[in-house]
Parts: sequence; C-alpha cells; structure tokens
Amino acid sequence: MGHPNQNQEGWGQEKLEYPEGVGYISARWDLCVGCGHCEVACSMYHYGIINRELSRIRIFRYLLPLPKSVQNVCSQCSEEERECQKACPEDPPVIHYDEELKHMVVDEDRCLGTDCGECRDACPADIPRFYPPSHNFALVCDLCEKKGRRRPQCVEICPTQALEYLSPHIPQHLERIHPDEKAASIGLRLHPLPKDGVIRPPEEVFGGEDNA
Amino acid sequence: MPEKTFKLLEVDLTNKKTRTVDVTEDVKKFLGGRSLGSKLLWDRVPPGADPLGEDNILYFGVGPMTGLLGSVTNVTAKSPLTMLRGQSNMNGHFGTELIYAGYNAGVLFTGKSDRPVYLYIKDDRVEVRDAAHLTGKSGLETQVTLSDELKEGVDDQNFRFLSIGSAGENLVRNADICHDFYHHAARLGMGTVMGSKRLKAIAVRGTQGPDYAHPGKILRNMKRILHEGRQYRAENRRWGHTKSMSGRYYATTEGIKNKQKGWDDMADLFNPVLLEQRYKIWGDSCHGCPVACKVPYFITGHPWGPVAGELRHDNAGGWSANAMIAGYEQQGYLCSYVDYLGLDSEDVSGVVTWMMECYEKGLVTQEDLDGIDLTWGNVGAICALLKKIAYREGIGDTLAEGLRFAPAKTKTGSEKFAMTGKGVAITSYEPRGSMKDALDLAMTAVGEIHGDRGAPERMILDSLTNCAFWRRYVNKIFGDLAGWAVPMLEATCGWQYSPKEWEDLVMRSFHLERCYSIREGYLPSRDDVMPERFFEETIHNKYGEPKILDHDEFLEKRKERYLSYGLREDGTPSADTLEDLGLGFTVEAVEEALDK
Repeated sequence: MGHPNQNQEGWGQEKLEYPEGVGYISARWDLCVGCGHCEVACSMYHYGIINRELSRIRIFRYLLPLPKSVQNVCSQCSEEERECQKACPEDPPVIHYDEELKHMVVDEDRCLGTDCGECRDACPADIPRFYPPSHNFALVCDLCEKKGRRRPQCVEICPTQALEYLSPHIPQHLERIHPDEKAASIGLRLHPLPKDGVIRPPEEVFGGEDNA
Repeated sequence: MPEKTFKLLEVDLTNKKTRTVDVTEDVKKFLGGRSLGSKLLWDRVPPGADPLGEDNILYFGVGPMTGLLGSVTNVTAKSPLTMLRGQSNMNGHFGTELIYAGYNAGVLFTGKSDRPVYLYIKDDRVEVRDAAHLTGKSGLETQVTLSDELKEGVDDQNFRFLSIGSAGENLVRNADICHDFYHHAARLGMGTVMGSKRLKAIAVRGTQGPDYAHPGKILRNMKRILHEGRQYRAENRRWGHTKSMSGRYYATTEGIKNKQKGWDDMADLFNPVLLEQRYKIWGDSCHGCPVACKVPYFITGHPWGPVAGELRHDNAGGWSANAMIAGYEQQGYLCSYVDYLGLDSEDVSGVVTWMMECYEKGLVTQEDLDGIDLTWGNVGAICALLKKIAYREGIGDTLAEGLRFAPAKTKTGSEKFAMTGKGVAITSYEPRGSMKDALDLAMTAVGEIHGDRGAPERMILDSLTNCAFWRRYVNKIFGDLAGWAVPMLEATCGWQYSPKEWEDLVMRSFHLERCYSIREGYLPSRDDVMPERFFEETIHNKYGEPKILDHDEFLEKRKERYLSYGLREDGTPSADTLEDLGLGFTVEAVEEALDK
C-alpha cells in the first residue's frame, strides 16, 4: 500500500513528495478524528502486534466538553531545542538525533527506562513513552526508517490526512505542544460554552418558569 | 501460541465484590455482546424477575472484533420499558478500552448497591467507589468530573467513561446511558436498570494489548476497508447519520406530526447540507473506524444561548417534523437538553408527541399537563415537560412509565394515539412508506427497530460488536458478512468456523433472544403488530401519492418472514430447531410459556 494520494488523479489529489533532508511528522489536530489507525500502524510496523500503548504516536481524547482527540508525536526538534537529548543522564545520550539517518534514536539497551524518565520530563509535550516491563525504554518516532529509507506508516494510513510528513517550514519545536494545551486551544472554538456543559438549561433561561 | 481466552469481569454490587471468569467456551458459541448477553440473561435472571430489582443483570458486552470496525459496546438487561429482552448499542471508545484493560468478554453487574457508586477499572485494579458527589449531575458533567479527578498524568487522559443522568437516577423507564457525551446506549431503559443498581458511572483505562492471533491479517483487512470504502467514508464524514432523514421524508418513511401526515414543508428544514455548512464544528470517530460519522454541531445563534451536540437520525428523527420543530437551531437545543436530562431521545419523543396529539385533540388539557401549553413545535413547552418526566414530577411521573404502562394511566381514548410496539415508541420511522420497515418494527423480539434491521445477521453483528452502519459497505467489499467476519474471527482468535457452523452461530443468536422474550411473556402472533393508524389512515407524500398499509398483506408477509427465519407460521420456534442449534436448554421454558 502506498501513500493515500497515490494513483489518484485530479485537483487536490497530487502525490506529496516525502522530504529528503530533515523531516518530521506534522499533526493537524483539527482533522484528527481519534480512530487510532496511526497507533495500529505504528505498533505493527515496529513490533508486529496491535497495541496502542506501544505506538510512538499517541492519541489523547478530551471532553471540551465535546469530545476531541489530538495526536502527540515527536517533532524531531533542532539541536538547540532538543530538550530530551540534553536531559539524558547517560554519556553519550541514550536518546539522540542521528544526523545520518535524520531522526531520533534510542539506544534501547542502555536506556534506564521509567527509573529515569528524564527525557519525558524534559519534553514540553511529554512525548517519550515507556511500556514496562516488556519495553522499558523511551519510545520515540523514528519516521519508520529502515536502511535509510523513511516511510512513516501513520502518515500513510491516516484516513483524514491529519498527519503529514514534511520538511520543516516553521521551527519544529513550535509544534511540540503538550496535548493538554492542544486540547485547550481547540476548545477555544467552543467559547463561551462552560467546561462541563453544552447547554444553558431552560430553567436558567426562563428563571424558573420554564414553560415558555 | 496459547489459545485465545476470554475474560468476563463480574461485579456483585450488593456485596461490592468483583471476580474474573473465563468464558472462552461460551464466546465460541455466542461470540460476545448481544448474543452472549442473551445467554447471560437466560442463565442469570430468574423468569418473571423485576427489571428494576436485585435479580436483573446489567451486562456491558464486547466481542472478538471490538475496535476493529468501530467500537460497539452492547448493553444487555431485562428491559423495564418492555419487560422483555432489553438491549442497546453504543459506539465510541468504551468497548476498546475494556478490552485493553483485559476484559475482552465485557463486564457484568449483578445485585444492587445500597448507595450511589461508580466502578473504577484500571487494568487489574477494579474498585467499587463511592459516587455521592456525582449524584444529580448530568451524564456529561459526571464524566468531566471523573476525568479531572482521575487524571494524574497525560496517559490518564484516555480513561473512558459511561454514566447516567438524572432520568436514570430517577428510574424513568426510558433513561439512557451516556458515553463520551454523544454516544448513548439509550434504548429500552438500560440507563434505568443502571439507576436501579445505583451505579452512576464506569471509568475504565486499559494498557494491555488485545493479543490477537494474526495481527498482520487484521491490518491488511483494515487497509482494504480503508481504501475500498472511500466512497462511504466521503458521504458519512460530511453529514453523519442525519443524512438519511431528508431522503426518508421524501420516501414517506419518516414520521411527521406523530404520524398524522405524509408530508409537511417543515421536512425540508432538516437538510443535512445546512447542518454541515452552518453548524458542524469538526469530525469525530469511534475507535478503529476511519469514517468519522460523528459531526457535532455548535450553534451560537440560538436566543437561549450557545448550544452544542450531535444530531443523528436516532435522536433527531422523533422530534424534527414529527414534533413540528422549526429547524436545526430549535432541534439542536432540544436534543442537547434531552441528553442533559439523560433520556432516550428516540423513545421520549414518542411519549411527548403522543401527548402533543392528545392535547391538540383536547383529550388532555393544559391543566392535565400541569399548565404546560404543549402545542406543536413549542420547544420551551417540550423542555418543560421533559424536565417533569426526568424528575418524575406531576404528569411527568405518569409519562416516565413509557408507552407500555403510561397510556393505561391516562384518560380513555388517548391510547390509540400512542405510536408504539411492545411499549417502545415508534418515532422516527413511518411504516406506510415501506412494508419492510413495518415488518422490522413489528417483528422485533426486543421491541425496537434498530435491534432487528438486517435480522438474523444483525444479532451476530452486535455480538461481534461491529458498527451496524459500516456493515453494508464492508459486506459489499467482502461479498457478505461471513466473507469478512469468518476470516477476521480466524485472525483475531485463531478460530475457524465452517459455513454450517457460521450459519448456526447466526441462527443461535437470533433464536436465543426470541426465546428469552417468549419466556418473559412475548407471544409473536399477538405482539408483532402495529398501531391501527398505519392500516386505517391514508397519508399523502409530497407529490400527493397516497400511502397506507394493507393489513392482509402485512400478515402474509409477516408469516413469510417467520418461515424464512426457520420459525413456525405463528412466529414461535420449534423444539427441533432449538435442539439443532444447541439451544435445547430453552425448550422446556419456551413450551411452558407458550402453553399459558
């Protein structure tokens, strides 16, 4: 299976070229419908099983109060902004950017796992995930790179094109936003609804005499 | 690889004890969800039990394929609305989370708590917790409160919730169960049973993988559906499931003015293109489904304040032109209020429109209605009446009994305007435009049309717990349901079913729930009927064509359909059929019930 746009003709259906240099997965939260296909594709590609918790891209679901899902995935930050790598207590860092492969790499054998968790705590978006005891090391997006070829499975499967594989056009770390903040941002669209309600009940409208 | 096993979480609410039971053998025979629910009802609930008593069960069923073609959770209990087999489906994310927590055969509640509680599930940690602080809150408020309470880190954001609102707490017979705000197991009083057990909510979070036999095959099928179902996705992600309504109005299969009319120009106010372009805020999907047919609205222009919600045929059809509601702004407010109270929109709309017609005809007065001027389309009056129903105040206490019990308690002469079958309101559907709909509506052993459309395969679909909307397209892609389901059962469980075994599985599921309803007093030839109006009053469609049902034709078609299901001419099952399907354990009770 190829890119969802592949072999499609017509306006708006052109095939997007994948980046050759630095690339990252850009998430459109507004388009995310929370189906979880990306998580299935990711855990299948890396481990051959279906387990959302092993996916390097994660969907978090909020009640805004309308339900809304947002994605969370590593944005392959530039060196200066790479907080996870800076926070790693090991030398050389277990979690680091591979300049040749052009994606984040985790030396699984050396990672201290949840006993440490410094990279997760340092990442403003809480992106590195651990799945102890079987996978007790930082799970971070590697763009599905194999033998130098990068082909992100989540991007290819996303049914709503809410994930795009792009060269950076804005500094990547600007997309590194905590899921709570993503949700709160989308929630602004529902202003002025309260946090836990979607309606002003008629008794409030009519001041107790609610039979208009 | 070890054989796939299925675990059922059992919660005894009387003693606040929980245990896990291996039900793998039952799952092989009944799969899960609706069908396993029938088996549990048969085994666990004594004949004639009070649906709101300690003896009833409440089962949240999932199945081998939950989360792979939508994420349906099927809810089973004896219905307080019909006193027969009760069940309701909700989509969303709950079922998948239950499976991730390790309970891939669902969760079964027995007994009755002495105080309000909620169930907390995080993997192996299961606790019956105090819910005093949630009492009186709406379904959504309850979920938001729990979400805030249980959140320690970002991973806790994926706790999934279901809850009841005030109507469920107050034992209104058609109360609903709400999940994720707009997913509802609304039908047949499942929320009422939950209320009777004083179970306010369930919170579940799971972190264990589902452990499928052949995940590669599953992913291949998911991708195939994704690509070959492109057309279906395009239609449904735009308009969701309000899209069927306008077509139904034109086909005279959608009710207008409590079924008094075949057309009214108001029908054109419910044009899903307007809903999409004016009010749709974003798309949303159930777990494992790429369609995103949830198209929530946000209406800012309503004079009573901004309002959000989700409109579907199910919750909107019974209002709309059936209650002469003037367009989406009014409709949006009304449906959101129904959810706020925790009522089944489809059923309560039938109760309210029945009263509207009685009020129009002078059979009930403003005084009878506690001062409410219940004219057609009067949303303020409808809301006032709904509130009385949800809190069982005044006239609301009678109407909260639903259409099986309420008509007998009101004035003589009003009964014939109650559009009901087996106590369930016939709201959105108008059978005079479709004999098939008429039969679906009349013949269901569970008392509501959604439960029977596409029978007998429908029952097994709800047992696999796959989305009923998607199925038509998936069936097209794979030839038929078996063309998809049988290979997927092999991929998920490693189990193989021959064509004969599959056929038996389908028919076993179909017959068992009929047997249960028969045991509880359902007599097909007496109960599989329709209100007289559909045979006696001719209505006209937009273009003036007359529509009416022919009674003889109805009876003839009903008989044909009984026979096609392997039933006898009178709709009862033969002992031989039941024995052949492995349902020999039902024979004695069924024969005893039919002898009465």
